[in-house]
Amino acid sequence: MSDHSVAHGTFVVERTYTHPIEKLWAAWSDPEQKVKWFGAPDGGMPAQIFDFKPGGRESRHGTIPNGPTFSFEVLYQDIVRNSRIVYNYDMHMDGKKISVSLAAVEFWPEGKTTRMKLTEYGLFLDGLDTVAQRREGTAALMDQLGTFLDSKK
Amino acid sequence: MKPRTVTHASFTLNRHFKQSPARVFAAFATEQGKRAWFHGPEDWARDEHHMDFRVGGIETSVGGPPGGWVSSFRCIYQDIVPDERIVYSYDMDLNGDRISVSLATIEMKPEGTGTYLVLTEQGAYLDGWDKPDDREHGTNELLNNLERYLNQN
Repeated sequence: MSDHSVAHGTFVVERTYTHPIEKLWAAWSDPEQKVKWFGAPDGGMPAQIFDFKPGGRESRHGTIPNGPTFSFEVLYQDIVRNSRIVYNYDMHMDGKKISVSLAAVEFWPEGKTTRMKLTEYGLFLDGLDTVAQRREGTAALMDQLGTFLDSKK
Repeated sequence: MKPRTVTHASFTLNRHFKQSPARVFAAFATEQGKRAWFHGPEDWARDEHHMDFRVGGIETSVGGPPGGWVSSFRCIYQDIVPDERIVYSYDMDLNGDRISVSLATIEMKPEGTGTYLVLTEQGAYLDGWDKPDDREHGTNELLNNLERYLNQN
């Protein structure tokens, strides 16, 4: 007997980066830049597919040292340059689907800085992940994004 | 240029059906079943529907009133557990403008010989085209259609 469950959860991560919107947009839309901040802190989750346009896909896989293998499959659903990115994504851990999520990233340029708000709604399947872990992981990614932008002065 | 906005909202609808989870699931899983209740008003000029019900499969539905606007629905199935749950993302366009991106979950639980269905939707409503209350109302109407279809067959 299977033990299927769905836990619904939502969270928001907001950041203000002291960088102009064009620089932030490039970090999200250019695969060579995104790989430098999106993934485990030591890097190494390259995208096998990266097609940044509405209807386009992104696919990346990575293994945590001595840990599980994750895969991340994105479908971009709405993109407005320098304004917003809306996408859905699935996460698999060792081949099992652990979550399905809808994410919206909104950008507000404020002079030479940019305010960014990421809103995620997730379904955490069969007890394999939790919204608290995802919020923590996503907040860490947005910090890595800040570190990456700072390093590109 | 229309101001770019994202309104985040969720809603949950619950239904009790006399039919078994297998019957209710079939109304979502078969093209014939889904067509019978998932459609616009009877007087719509066109109503084209295509469905590929499997994980990664796409469903599209395009319709609108005679001489009027054209509404497009495009859905990708992300998780399917027969007789238990269906998870999908969908976008809606109105005359070619993207008006929303949503993540929906349908959970079915046996209840005696019948089914308790919970539909949960989280939406990103774009640029003020559509309102969450209207989407909830429209989705509720679709479930009314589903109930009528199940009771007639």
